[in-house]
Amino acid sequence: MSLQSAKRRRTLSTRNRPLWMLGPGLVLMALVIIIPLGLALYMSLLDLDQYTLRSWLQAPFIGLQNYVEAVTASPLLRSIWISVSYAVVVSLVTLPVGVAAALATQNRFKGRALVRSVFLIPYILPAFVVGTVWRTMMQQGGVIDSALGSAGVHTGLWLNGPQSYWTLIIVQAWSSWPFFYLLVLAGLQSVDSEVHEAAALDGAGWWIKLRYVIFPYLRGPIALALIISLLHNINSFTLPFVMFGVPAPQDVQVLSVLTYVTSFQSFRFGLSAAMAVASLIIVAIPLFVYLRAVRLDTGEEGKRA
Amino acid sequence: MRVRPTLAAIAGIAVLGLALQGCTGSSSNTSSTGGAVNGAGKTLDVLVAANTLYPDAQKQWFSDVSAQFQKETGATVKFETFATTNDELTKIQTAVVSGQGPDIYNLGTTFTPTAYSTGAFVTMTDDDWNKVGGRDRFVPATLGISGPDDNDQIGIPFASRPFVMAYNKDLLAAAGIDKPATTWDGLAQQAQKLTSGDTYGLAVAYADSFDPWKFIWGMSIQAGNPIIDGKTARIDDPVTEKAYQSYFGWLTTQHAVDPASVSWKNAQAVAAFAAGKAAFLPMTSATSKVTLDKSAVAGHYAYALLPTIPPGQTSLPSGGKAATSIISGDNTVVAKYSQNQDLDFALIKMLTSADNQTDYYKRFGELPTNQEAATALETGNADLAPILDSSAQSVGTPFSGAWGDTQLALVNVVVQSIPSLSSGSVSDSDLETQLKAAQATSQASLDKAK
Amino acid sequence: MTQSVLAPPAIAAATPRVGSPARVSVRRNDDVTRLLPRPLLVVIIVVLLAVVLIPVLYIFFASVNSDTGVASGQFFPTEFHLDNYLLIWNTVDLGTGLVNSVIVCGAVAVVCAFVAVGSAYVLVRFVFRGRATYLRALLGLQSIPGTLMLLPVFVLFASVGTALGVPIIGTRGALFVTYLTFALPFSTWVMVTYLRGLPRELEEAARIDGASSWRILTRIVVPLSWPGIVVSAIFAFLLGWNDVLFASVLTNSDTRTAAVALQVFGATQEGGAIPLYGQMMAASLVCALPVVVLYLVFQRYLVGGLTAGGVK
Repeated sequence: MSLQSAKRRRTLSTRNRPLWMLGPGLVLMALVIIIPLGLALYMSLLDLDQYTLRSWLQAPFIGLQNYVEAVTASPLLRSIWISVSYAVVVSLVTLPVGVAAALATQNRFKGRALVRSVFLIPYILPAFVVGTVWRTMMQQGGVIDSALGSAGVHTGLWLNGPQSYWTLIIVQAWSSWPFFYLLVLAGLQSVDSEVHEAAALDGAGWWIKLRYVIFPYLRGPIALALIISLLHNINSFTLPFVMFGVPAPQDVQVLSVLTYVTSFQSFRFGLSAAMAVASLIIVAIPLFVYLRAVRLDTGEEGKRA
Repeated sequence: MRVRPTLAAIAGIAVLGLALQGCTGSSSNTSSTGGAVNGAGKTLDVLVAANTLYPDAQKQWFSDVSAQFQKETGATVKFETFATTNDELTKIQTAVVSGQGPDIYNLGTTFTPTAYSTGAFVTMTDDDWNKVGGRDRFVPATLGISGPDDNDQIGIPFASRPFVMAYNKDLLAAAGIDKPATTWDGLAQQAQKLTSGDTYGLAVAYADSFDPWKFIWGMSIQAGNPIIDGKTARIDDPVTEKAYQSYFGWLTTQHAVDPASVSWKNAQAVAAFAAGKAAFLPMTSATSKVTLDKSAVAGHYAYALLPTIPPGQTSLPSGGKAATSIISGDNTVVAKYSQNQDLDFALIKMLTSADNQTDYYKRFGELPTNQEAATALETGNADLAPILDSSAQSVGTPFSGAWGDTQLALVNVVVQSIPSLSSGSVSDSDLETQLKAAQATSQASLDKAK
Repeated sequence: MTQSVLAPPAIAAATPRVGSPARVSVRRNDDVTRLLPRPLLVVIIVVLLAVVLIPVLYIFFASVNSDTGVASGQFFPTEFHLDNYLLIWNTVDLGTGLVNSVIVCGAVAVVCAFVAVGSAYVLVRFVFRGRATYLRALLGLQSIPGTLMLLPVFVLFASVGTALGVPIIGTRGALFVTYLTFALPFSTWVMVTYLRGLPRELEEAARIDGASSWRILTRIVVPLSWPGIVVSAIFAFLLGWNDVLFASVLTNSDTRTAAVALQVFGATQEGGAIPLYGQMMAASLVCALPVVVLYLVFQRYLVGGLTAGGVK
């Protein structure tokens, strides 16, 4: 590519920019995301409840009191712990499953297309369907209990008590492992066939090859998948909400459900907004790492030329 | 050059938005004149609970009401339904925030305090009461949860669903019990006696979102603790602890309840009773009649009042109230923003008339709040007597904006105790920890109440 | 922004499909790319197929079983109630729900994809101040918890409605605008990654011929990016289809989406007699079907597209 054409391109890209095309998106995002976000921050500073909601603009301004109450006198900290630990556990459980599935379907075999489609199903099913179905399966005396019972295993309640935490993890893991599978599969396809051939010539065993030749290629996709999966699980609302209802057993009162209940059952809107802002801060940590890691300009001039 | 397409794009989206808005029907906003209400050409929006037992009958009722109202005033009625508590609360909120939505809300009685605390609904003046036919037309007990006091009411009683218990006559006769006990302790003993094999004395829905607090509140108020006492929450009161202990005790001490019921909702308890697997079904209403009359126990069961003597007592302690039930049913409230308030009242007047109330009972099994209709019903139906009795002896739950939270806290104690309940015992220390938490929640909510 | 199936930005890279690594030789050793010993591979596949398929089969079996059969833990049905699939149209009000979902999500998908392609075109082909911020925001905005946005959006719509004297809450329009906006960051990111993979030569030639940006976008960029547009439209569609949180607050009984209809049906089952498990499962299956079909039909784009873009 000649120097001249590169120069011309640059001038083109700074002149006659049809910036208006960004307009509709910008307007919508400003109206429906940015303004409400500001509103949420403002509400978290108000004494906003059922008594003051009617003229909410006049609700008393109470500074950081909602935050103080959220931290000292509400189940917020416990909910944060539940959400974060559950998100981490689910991500760590689904990671090896997804990797194994991707490795297993990397090569052509008869029926591979079908297997790949089937593997996607848990990920495709809407969370409200997954929740409804698993709730039915895991109810007392339901199909899971009777299957385990006939194998001589008697577990306690799945939908109540401490075990419900693991129920949530099992179901969330069931529905989200294909995500790792997808990303790892994509990563695997970027491995050149020469690499495979070189490894074959060396006569390396499959584990050695995986460990030292293939896995280095997957480090990027897996790290990315981990972060996204964390973000995803921390924000997860539909599944716990549909599976456990409200009031939720305290072992599965995740952050999103707590925020929802505080607002739409207890009518403590200000407190709820403070909790929601807290969850934003929790999410911001992995998000920050993610934004640092993503190269915004991949594929731009430098790389393509 | 650059501006126009942007505007075009936005306009396009706006047009699409309007097109999508489509069928949401809103009420027209002409005001009515005094005297006979003329509502020609107007439409009232009414929000009611979806009737899951008789969905088809409810649709029929909607169109019949609208037709009758059109004949009387020229206006039509459009009904909207909500299906869950969540939905109900959201609708109240929408009304509060936006000043838009249905003209008339038909709310569960226990939501009346919440609705009242928002200040978004019409406080009934004497004049308003006259427009709906006068306060005197209602069964006095049903007015008990219309507002904090007689001069400050928003709720117009529409339907009554007092709680009673159903019992299996055959099982009781076989065990030589001639009539259900009137004390909770007596009931527990009878239940224990009635338990054998896979038949249990009581069918209880421990995992229900509502049933548990009704038991606890009932036993507590019978022992003199209204749970909310002015500005003080009293969930940590010994009589309330006693109430929980005996509620759990049916399973852990008397073993008179199916162990599976730790995960039952109300529906499963009804089903167990309907299958003849339980002798008593406490905390049920006349609406269960439909299910039961189609079931294996049809003709073999009867209703009785729930016990009114609190656990551990043989007679009503001083300060106790012999409450048979919460004031249960529906209250109608009118939104302040409604542009057609006279028309709203005219509709409520029509719906609470003796004829319409009797008709409503015949369709849905919900008792009239209209005194004349209630009296007429009593004379004709002996088997309804306990239910009508219960209606008269119902006591309203505390009229406080904090009641919603308190109710949730009472249920939450049971929800969090279910694992230990399932393993056979709830220790006093665990229970006390839970009660303390519930007490704190309720008190915090009360402190915020205005 | 949403919780459920919103796919990650990385999937965005719907760049033209790069197939499996090319076969270098026709010799028997095309096995060199195999990563796992055959027995292990078979075990993994069989186990995972079972893990996935057993619950899926259960949905179908339970949907035709008797309610007591489901409650007592049967896997294989003992009775066949195919009529559950007819009953749900009345009991769940699934018809209204599906119509609403299709209308709202369909409109969101179409509008979103085209708004996204315009924005992405500017972001990829032009340099301007705030561009990097905009790109970052596209990623960041997707991670905002939905529960944070719910109340403010609700209050905002309610207040705007009052100011204009038009009801907004409870309309399909409110839902449309909400889903459209929340789908935009992701859809735009999809298009950004897609457009980066397109050659610029055609656009430049057109530019030299004096074509306007609008003309280049509509005549050259859009026709070339159909695969990317399809992907971003599908994700926008799914975002709306799977949402329960916003729909449960912003709709009324006429404008309820399928997701809410099912959730409400499940909730009301607590009040009647024995829960209608069969109908609940049948309704679940019907609600899931359109989504599954969409995915499987466009699987090639969705999965194949992963190989080139953001993952590397």
